[in-house]
Amino acid sequence: MDNCGKATLSRKCDRKQKRCQHIIEKETGIKCTLMASKCIAICNAGLVNGLSEETVYENFIQYGSIDNITMLPGKSCCFVRYKDIEAATRAFDNINGKLNIAQNSKPIYLTYVENIPSPDPIYQNTLPTGLIIIEDFVTDTEENMLLELCNFNELENGSMKHRQVRHFGYEFRYDINNVDKDKPLKEDIPHQCDILWEKLKLEGIDFVPDQLTVNCYKPGQGIPPHIDTHSAFEDPIISLSLGSSVVMNFKNEDVNIPVILPKRSLAIMSSESRYAWLHGITPRKLDIIPTQNDLSVIHRTTRVSYTFRKVRKGECDCQYTQYCDSHAKKLKSKSNSIKNDVAMQLETAHVYDVYDVIALHFSDTRCKPWPNVMKFLYSLQPGSILVDVGCGNGKYLRCIENVFSVGCDRSFGLAEVAGQRGFEVFSCNCLNIPIRDNSADGCISIAVIHHLANEERRLQAIKEMARILKVGGKCLIYVWARDQIRNQEKTFYLKQDRKNRKESSTAVQEQSPENVTVTGDVTLPVHVNRTQFQDQDLLVPWKLRAENTPDNKENTFLRFYHVFEEGELEALCSQLDYIKIVKHYYDQGNWCCIFEKIKKD
Amino acid sequence: MLTSKCMKGVNIGYPLKIKAVDLKESEVDFNPDFISRIIPKLDWTVLISAANSIGKNENLPENLLPEYEKNTEFLKRVHHVLLEIDVVNGELICPESGRKFPINNGIPNMILNEDEV
Repeated sequence: MDNCGKATLSRKCDRKQKRCQHIIEKETGIKCTLMASKCIAICNAGLVNGLSEETVYENFIQYGSIDNITMLPGKSCCFVRYKDIEAATRAFDNINGKLNIAQNSKPIYLTYVENIPSPDPIYQNTLPTGLIIIEDFVTDTEENMLLELCNFNELENGSMKHRQVRHFGYEFRYDINNVDKDKPLKEDIPHQCDILWEKLKLEGIDFVPDQLTVNCYKPGQGIPPHIDTHSAFEDPIISLSLGSSVVMNFKNEDVNIPVILPKRSLAIMSSESRYAWLHGITPRKLDIIPTQNDLSVIHRTTRVSYTFRKVRKGECDCQYTQYCDSHAKKLKSKSNSIKNDVAMQLETAHVYDVYDVIALHFSDTRCKPWPNVMKFLYSLQPGSILVDVGCGNGKYLRCIENVFSVGCDRSFGLAEVAGQRGFEVFSCNCLNIPIRDNSADGCISIAVIHHLANEERRLQAIKEMARILKVGGKCLIYVWARDQIRNQEKTFYLKQDRKNRKESSTAVQEQSPENVTVTGDVTLPVHVNRTQFQDQDLLVPWKLRAENTPDNKENTFLRFYHVFEEGELEALCSQLDYIKIVKHYYDQGNWCCIFEKIKKD
Repeated sequence: MLTSKCMKGVNIGYPLKIKAVDLKESEVDFNPDFISRIIPKLDWTVLISAANSIGKNENLPENLLPEYEKNTEFLKRVHHVLLEIDVVNGELICPESGRKFPINNGIPNMILNEDEV
């Protein structure tokens, strides 16, 4: 390069520098100086235009020891402080305008500065609330033993874009961000891990997980910031770091806390840190951690993390609702479903009032106890107290000797029929059962809660039944199923149609269903009897022949039904953690569930 | 066993007071084994005061007798009070709020209004 060219370069540097110095002073309050100093600012590159701390470190460390690198979020400049002026001068002379690490591989321009911005408060030593790091949780021997359990070199599948991964107990599905709770894997958590729960116990933590995800990170690999799906796993989540230390970033709103996870340490994420903080690992080959007056650097090697979690049964009810998928789901279903006041009007007009009118005729059609309900009743111990919620005409109340049975029904008409037959009955709504907590040994509710018009109310009814049960007491619930054909077999309900009996095909609705505005702005389809259900919320006609009506005129009454999808009843029951589902099955067009109360609610 | 606990502002709601207008006595087959199994599930004091309040004590003692399962005479009296006497018309009254639940044709109406829950 000739002299003229050199001069041009120098002038260009000067001009750039001047402009940048001005910006640095304005934006950070740091004064630039023409005198050599320990502190250098990179004027035209920073976090905002893609310069990483790692790159700065790698290039600047060549000229001497550095005691701080400060990258400011959202800024296009950054700062390096050397231990001595000599090193800083060497770096300045070799790098300024020559090192092409700015955006689009342009050179970076430097200036000496009087000092560097005070360390960001994010680098303080406070951990996110609920996060505990136990160093040296396993010994070297244990580390090797655990690493050998899961040899990734032999693994061909299960490789993610950024890392290799393997699951035990349950598979975590990244497509749905959840686990298949009904499909446990054949491979349980290896028993060698049991030592970990014993160690945890010594720390005063009682935690035995049922799901393990093993991740293998090569240097340069990472995991995007995330919060583990609330509904998938319980609190806490624990993660063991093997093979290499790493910095994990915890982020909540605009607070970012880098946390060192040393090799052989255990990170316990509980409460806020589990529910409300994103955590992730930046893909890079080394982590730079500012200490009090120095920089410490972790050169990453292959790191294997064992993350242990406990699959959540039911939904999450944490207080960190803005991060909670269960909460979002609840809100969504609430806004989609029939509002409570409308539901009440609907139930009154299209359930209670109808049953009051059709009570006698209805009762005449309800004589034969269902065998599987009887089987449940026979399983009760002599001297048991049984409550039949929605007892109708009371056909199950005197089925078995030696059991004290009481029934209740919201329909006065039906309660009266049962009362006249000599049964112990009272009138009540199943949303508020006037029975003491923990007092019944058994409870049945046959074809009742499908008359409740929204999910909140159906769940409330189940809660009430669970509440009145003693611990150890069992409850059987039957609801009408949307699907009236299982395993190619039509239910009795469909077969009762003459057409269905003859033909091999199911009667399908030929005309589009009639819709009826029931109350407020709710319009529901009217079901055609003896056909498959077309909707979940619908009105089912009950025809009363002329001889059965008070005014001797044939009349049709519409009853509200919510017919259940497969799994829906179970999902409702499993929202309560104080009950355990003993059995669920399909029985002649009904979904059925038996649950046991396992602790007080 | 019945309670008004579901009501807003009522904490225990037990035991409900009984006001009997009509009583009916009927005959139910006596099953000593059943009665002795039911007794431990009862709140004896509550049963006695309920029986007293409708004037049908049948000489039941304040305290449960020891070895009652062998005392057929005693079991018969419990059987009578428990299973053979029905309040046909009357009221159940919440001990806390005073809310009255009418009994008609032997059926207590425990349905609460919307503003009570």
